[in-house]
Amino acid sequence: MTAAQVPLAAWLLFAAPVAALLFGFFVMRRFKPEWTHLPILASCLVVTGAAFWLAADVYTGHSFDLNLFRWAGAGAFGVDFGLRIDGPGVAVLAMVAFVGSLIHLYAAGYMKGDAGFARFFLVFHLFYLAMIGLLTSNNYVQLYLFWELVGVCSYLLVGFWYKKESARKAALKAFMVNRIGDFGLLLAVLLITLQFKVTHFHLAYLKVVSGAPLDLLPLIGVCLVWAACAKSAQFPLYFWLPDAMEGPTPTSALMHAATMVTAGVFLLVRSWPLIAAVPGLPHAIAWIGAFTALFAAIVAGTKKDLKRILAYSTVSHLGLMMLALGLDQVGAAIFHLIVHGFFKAALFLCAGNIAHGLHQSTANVDDVGGLQKSMRLTYLSFGLAALSLAGIFPMGGFFSKDAILDAAWHHGGAMAVMAMLVAAGSAFYIFRMLFLTFYGARPGQKCPSDIHEAEPILGIPVLFLALGAAAAGLLKGPIERFVVIGFRGLPGGLPELQSVVLNLPGEPLLPALNPVVAGLGTLMALLGALAAWRVTMSDPGFDWRWRGGFAEAMFESDFGWKTAMGRCASAVSWTARFVGRVLDKRGLDGLIEGTNGFARAAGAAVARSAQGRVNDYLWWMGIGTAVLLGRVLR
Amino acid sequence: MSMPLTLLWTLPLLGAVVCAFMGKRAKYAALAFSAAFLGAALAITWVARSTAALAVVTELGPVWAYGISYRLSADSLSLGLIALTALLNLICVASSWKLDVSAGYWACFMALASALTGVFLARDLFFFYVFWEATLIPMFFIIGLWGSSNRMHAALKFFLFTFSGSVFMLLALLALVSAHHRVTGVWTWDLALLDSTTLGAAAPLVFWGLVLGFAVKIPMVPLHTWLPDAHTEAPAAGSVMLAGIMLKMGVYGLLRIALPLFPVLSWEALPILGGLAALSTIYGAFCAMAQTDLKRMIAYSSIAHLGFCLLGVLSRTSQGLVGGSLQLLNHGLTTGALFLMVGFIYERAHKRGLADFGDLASRAPYLAFFFGFSTLASIGLPGLNGFVGEFMSLSGALAALPVLAFLGLVGVTLAAAYALPAFQAVFWAPEGPGSVSAKVTDLDFRERGVLWTLSALMLWIGLAPNAWLAWLEPSLRGLVR
Repeated sequence: MTAAQVPLAAWLLFAAPVAALLFGFFVMRRFKPEWTHLPILASCLVVTGAAFWLAADVYTGHSFDLNLFRWAGAGAFGVDFGLRIDGPGVAVLAMVAFVGSLIHLYAAGYMKGDAGFARFFLVFHLFYLAMIGLLTSNNYVQLYLFWELVGVCSYLLVGFWYKKESARKAALKAFMVNRIGDFGLLLAVLLITLQFKVTHFHLAYLKVVSGAPLDLLPLIGVCLVWAACAKSAQFPLYFWLPDAMEGPTPTSALMHAATMVTAGVFLLVRSWPLIAAVPGLPHAIAWIGAFTALFAAIVAGTKKDLKRILAYSTVSHLGLMMLALGLDQVGAAIFHLIVHGFFKAALFLCAGNIAHGLHQSTANVDDVGGLQKSMRLTYLSFGLAALSLAGIFPMGGFFSKDAILDAAWHHGGAMAVMAMLVAAGSAFYIFRMLFLTFYGARPGQKCPSDIHEAEPILGIPVLFLALGAAAAGLLKGPIERFVVIGFRGLPGGLPELQSVVLNLPGEPLLPALNPVVAGLGTLMALLGALAAWRVTMSDPGFDWRWRGGFAEAMFESDFGWKTAMGRCASAVSWTARFVGRVLDKRGLDGLIEGTNGFARAAGAAVARSAQGRVNDYLWWMGIGTAVLLGRVLR
Repeated sequence: MSMPLTLLWTLPLLGAVVCAFMGKRAKYAALAFSAAFLGAALAITWVARSTAALAVVTELGPVWAYGISYRLSADSLSLGLIALTALLNLICVASSWKLDVSAGYWACFMALASALTGVFLARDLFFFYVFWEATLIPMFFIIGLWGSSNRMHAALKFFLFTFSGSVFMLLALLALVSAHHRVTGVWTWDLALLDSTTLGAAAPLVFWGLVLGFAVKIPMVPLHTWLPDAHTEAPAAGSVMLAGIMLKMGVYGLLRIALPLFPVLSWEALPILGGLAALSTIYGAFCAMAQTDLKRMIAYSSIAHLGFCLLGVLSRTSQGLVGGSLQLLNHGLTTGALFLMVGFIYERAHKRGLADFGDLASRAPYLAFFFGFSTLASIGLPGLNGFVGEFMSLSGALAALPVLAFLGLVGVTLAAAYALPAFQAVFWAPEGPGSVSAKVTDLDFRERGVLWTLSALMLWIGLAPNAWLAWLEPSLRGLVR
């Protein structure tokens, strides 16, 4: 296969956003900033079309992997850039393109009238482009490029309202924690270059599968998991994500559903043959995932800010995906990633609609209650998405969560218990949120009377997303097929791959419905919902009563972890101040300034004529040099 | 092909002489000569592009006393640095256009460009040393006469510090030449003919003498303390030349003289030199984090960035040498752009403390865009130029001595911790009491043009670096271990 045979759709995936960004930046932003979204929405349409077209190609067996140009090379070292259009990539790509486009459409309504409208749309679209690039990269360096671009765009979007101190802090925190994760990814990429001599995914897979001795593989695996923990907000590096909701709501929706946090899971899917070859590492991933999922689900149940509840919910769901991956269920992880994209985007945009109705950037459970009547469309969308999140039959979330619960159940032990508890916990926090905002109102809630449904451009994308979240169970078969193609298929393109039949580690097949697991999962979800009813409906004052004590302090600091991380950050800045102001300024520089002063004083004393010190020095230096010169040349 | 290389360094020198006699109109002469210089540099680079290894050699005149001869030569490394010198020189002239300065200012910049070009061309160690020292004189005046409040102190410190460093270098060169004479009976200063084996047991001493001279210039921690003062007090254009080109002389000296002459010693010194380079990246980053002055912060970041170049170069792998050398050019572009912008801010508000500003993103959006862009390039965002050099240097360091790459990666991580908070303090945070943001008007057409040029180069090198790498590679092939 050559570059000329790359389907047009694959070029459009990049050409449309780049053209829209250039046009938006150089023309629209200058002359008609309030229309910047038009070329960008057109580009979204093209990208979504192209993504579905490629998905159809792959579905019918035309996946490919191709190097397009040499990015950087010197001697034996070489990095090529190319395109990898394969099953898992294109399945996630289609979801990202579609969900992302709907969020773009929503943003056009949500951000209308904001002073930074043009800037918002340009960065937003760059964010989208970065994720598309990440999903179609065919080697680690290229993936790292887009990975970092995703990070920078999220920084600019979280800090979009930069006049707010909380937004600046959250942006910096997000970027720094991600940078700490990138330390792992960059180290992994460097080690891969050293170990494999190539950075290409597929050639690395072949080397691993061939059973060649690879000493550095365990270290590479650990570094990759570290990077994924930062990007996909897993313990111990999850704590940037809940703050990242300081950005405008469409940003949160895009970050949580499509473009940012899924990158870490996707990195692990892409690296699965490498990670699976490291004994014990998949198991560690499963533990990280299970722990994070349970812990975040508990914290989510205690939050008051609507977007913060959803943020912790994302952390919890990413934990479930990690759990699935750790149990070798690549197919289940990707399935849940896609379904999660739909319901989380819908939920965030519903929260955005509520905040928009209140004319605030974010809403709190104190501000609203009983919205069921005044915001019917939002209520409907939220309800569908919440049922999907909680895993109620026949919503999409039921099928994807069931696949993960099934894996955990068959693994047994503590992991099975934890997974079931997560199922109960997620039903609890999402129904608590549903009851608190849409039912009531309670004595503690303000509940403004003039709040009403948002305009159609804000309502309709949300409804589509919610319907997607409800119906995503239908995607089970197709997604399974995509993953099978990716892990068992034969992507053409690279000359090295012409005759290689692929059989990569990782279970692409989704489990058949198991009545015991499905029944137990549903029971847990109902129990969670019932508990939520108990603390919000039958005892409406509960949420206001328990706060203020030690318990709230514990939950607010994430059981002390946020405090500990804050201490680490202050330790670093203390070190910096010590090095910069004491060691460097007073220590090293002081020493040198001291000799300078001494020499100056001595020089003045000897020469007695203190005018033109520079000349004196030059003369002394000249004489000294001449003497030395004479001695050497003699 | 004998004239072009001589033309390269005499053209700006002629410009300096003309400027000195032009009085009030000197800046027009400076502009004309810098443009001509850039044109000449690019033309020669273009002509020599295909045979970049040792393309244009000039040898003029007889061999003088003690074997001193006038020999110039240029390969892609030299030409790259000369083209960067010419570009930054033109940019310095353009960016200083509205300053009310005497003819001497313009003459100094032209003279500086001439001396720097000479350093990169000379293949006779005597002329190399003469050009090397000649760079100090115009820079001394640029800092001392047109700098800010504490300029005289900074100029003196700069001069004494680097001059002391080069005394060691001179002694090492003299020892090298006289040892060669003692053994072979031939006087020569020709780099191609000299050989460190004639030194015998004195070789380590001579090697470290050379390294000391270069390390002060780079500057390598702990020999760096002249740099923050000099950068901070120099006028903006002076900082651009200082950071953009003069720091590169140290790494260039290592590449051109120390590594080829002492291949074994320089490899044995890797744990020490590489360790200091890795330390520089971390130490520079920590110091930069502690600064409250924008210009000082960028100055310290230069120490960190040059540490990456050194890591790559000292690793003696293809990717390290080529990436480290590309990073020399990259650092000139990004740090040059950052210093220019601090200069634009200082010109308007006469302040440069982080706390003196706030909310500049609203007041000067173009400035915020270019500053943010250059900051991201400087902290190594992939897709922009800084990443290519960092990645390849670290890859080389990992192959040579893994612990160095690990320390370098810590430096990469820390880079964001000084650059972004500083960016936020100046451009995002609300104005504090005593803020002078109101004086900072947005960039005008001329300033934007200068920054677009630099930004476009940053993006180009970042997205498609291979042409640059392939061009640099033949010059460095011989150094691969």
